[in-house]
Amino acid sequence: MAFGDYPAEYNPKIHGPYDPARYYGPPDTPFGQLKLTEVGAWFGRRNKNPRALVGAVSRAWWRWQHKYVQPKRSGIAPFFQVVTGAMLFFYVINYGKLKHHRNYKYHW
Amino acid sequence: MLSRFAFRSVQYSRPLMGVRCSQTVAASGERAVTASEERDEVRFPRPVRAEFPDKVRHGFIPEEWFQFFYKKTGVTGPYTFGVGLATYFISKEIYVLEHEFYNGISLFIMAVFAVKKFGPKVAAYLDKEVDEVANSWKHEREDEITSLGDTVVAEKKEQWRAEGQKDLFAAKRENVALQLEAAYRERLTIAFNEVKRRLDYQVERQNIDRRIAHKHMVTWVIQNVLKSISPQQEKESLAKCIVDLRGLAKA
Repeated sequence: MAFGDYPAEYNPKIHGPYDPARYYGPPDTPFGQLKLTEVGAWFGRRNKNPRALVGAVSRAWWRWQHKYVQPKRSGIAPFFQVVTGAMLFFYVINYGKLKHHRNYKYHW
Repeated sequence: MLSRFAFRSVQYSRPLMGVRCSQTVAASGERAVTASEERDEVRFPRPVRAEFPDKVRHGFIPEEWFQFFYKKTGVTGPYTFGVGLATYFISKEIYVLEHEFYNGISLFIMAVFAVKKFGPKVAAYLDKEVDEVANSWKHEREDEITSLGDTVVAEKKEQWRAEGQKDLFAAKRENVALQLEAAYRERLTIAFNEVKRRLDYQVERQNIDRRIAHKHMVTWVIQNVLKSISPQQEKESLAKCIVDLRGLAKA
């Protein structure tokens, strides 16, 4: 599988038009329906090589796109979501500098 | 925009947007699919582009976040959680209220004001634009279908007209045959007339020959007869005539 190829599990004859937000591999129990005892086993079953991780991020991106950005009459929500995410991200990466601006000397 | 949620009466199941936004008939019959490789429409339905985005609250927080809390904590749960978390972060100064925070508050107020004030108008305008574009595409497609249908009808008519050419060809062939027949008959007449003329000439010539020969023969016979009449015979015949005349006169 080279750059730009479809996932190996994707078969147009069975799956029809390709949906970038969809996982075409064998289905597993959704994370939200797991018992706490099953979480470890669930993570053990995950494919953790970098390609699979990139694929997961790509699918999440397209799910977000289909949910908020791509609908015919989408609103301003995705912009605010990106702004909020960016605020959090930049706060975290700048935290080392920002923590010097603390006002209180003693915390309990 | 925020005003959109008024229009949403149902919770949309989230159909996934496809690579192709408009639904057309799925391409089929390109390859013969074996039984094991049949198209699975149930588990993998054709993705459809959503009309509206999923519901959010306060401009950007997904509705699912609140639903997640409702089952456990009731309606105030998510807000209690948010306020509690913010209090914790601020009181412990994990979130530091430095100058950017106050800058952020003013920006936030301006953004909220702008969204509340201009959001509905912009949304209405953009909806109109979206509808215009969608309608123009739809019309283009329909016009294309109509024009292609017209082309098919015109082509059928042209084929029907071309069928008419066959009759025309037959008529032309008949016409040519008639002309050929006419030319043949004309030549036949000419040949007949020429032959007749020649035969008439021969007949006339023979008639003239015979007449001339006859005339010569008569002339020759008369001359010879006249030549053979002697003066004595003439006198005798004259005397005989006179006798006859006298005999007649007596009678």
